[in-house]
Amino acid sequence: MTSYFDEHNCQPLESGEEPNHLLDLARLLLDSGIGAQFQLEFERIFGNVDGRKQPPAAKHIIENLPLINYFNNDEKCSICLKEFQLNLTTELPCHHKYCKICIIEWLKLVNSCPMCRIEFETDDKDYEEYKKQKQRLKQRQVELDDLHNSMFS
Amino acid sequence: MNIAMNRIMKEFKEVVANESNGIELHMPEGELTRNPSNSSSNKKEIYLSGSLLGPPDTPYAGARFHVDIIVVDTYPFNPPKVRFTTKIWHPNISSVTGAICLDILKDQWAAAMTIRTVLLSLQALLATPEPDDPQDAVVANQYKKDRKLFEKTARHWANVYANGPTPEPECDAAVKSLAEMGFDEEKARAALSSMHWNTSDALESLCKA
Ligand SMILES: [Zn+2]
Ligand SMILES: [Zn+2]
Repeated sequence: MTSYFDEHNCQPLESGEEPNHLLDLARLLLDSGIGAQFQLEFERIFGNVDGRKQPPAAKHIIENLPLINYFNNDEKCSICLKEFQLNLTTELPCHHKYCKICIIEWLKLVNSCPMCRIEFETDDKDYEEYKKQKQRLKQRQVELDDLHNSMFS
Repeated sequence: MNIAMNRIMKEFKEVVANESNGIELHMPEGELTRNPSNSSSNKKEIYLSGSLLGPPDTPYAGARFHVDIIVVDTYPFNPPKVRFTTKIWHPNISSVTGAICLDILKDQWAAAMTIRTVLLSLQALLATPEPDDPQDAVVANQYKKDRKLFEKTARHWANVYANGPTPEPECDAAVKSLAEMGFDEEKARAALSSMHWNTSDALESLCKA
């Protein structure tokens, strides 16, 4: 049998841990069938995920950027517009390349690739929670659409 | 030379070299950088000006709009500050100050964007206003409630302030009649535009001010 905590996708509090009532309330609202209506409210509380309340990228991502030396001679960094140099160039998981110092400065501000806007992990717990909720909401919509299609096609 | 200045120099070559979209970017005459007016720090800002041609099939078609561009010294990590200096009637641009409401100039900025992409985005904004995220509530309201009147007003402003090709004789006449009563022409035009070109309502609002 699934426990209350599994079913509601949350963890029992550790001793000494403060409950985050806002987050719990928002989660409850989102998990109830009327979630979509409350998404706006959620965004009001936690900031719009599509806006630059976007936090910096997680420290471990910034610290573990690889050095790469495969690029064409005329390829340029789209932040400083200079040509790439040996041993000073890096590549993000989306395969977009930048000077290492350029992209580090950007990722310290925002957790996304300046070229394709794909988002990377952050160290901001509320933001990560928000992303998960949004993903879940999207998933539910896909399931509803599938159901609708299977019933009416 | 810092990264902001370095990048602007490189961007200049690109825009000047191959531009066919009706956008222009100019270096200022004289000093290129200034200290921000309200700061004692030694941070330099770069002052540029640009312009864009109104897109076809819009009330702005054929008119040229000028913008001020302030490149902050943390550019391209932070967006440039951009403002219309040509008066314009548009839901996302203040008809009073020229301030712009556009996501890429705020939280949707990305360091890979350039002044060129900003100017092209402004051109796109002229073609597709977003009245639900307005900068000028009066204009946005008119856009939503009476599209024909909005287009007429926008075309009139474009004709008067931006060399747009299509005059609106009714608007011209209404402004003239208030100007002849001694009101400032620009203020009269703003009042009439906000009051749906109803002369007595415009008169009332001008007298209250
Ligand atoms: Zn670079
Ligand atoms: Zn990318």
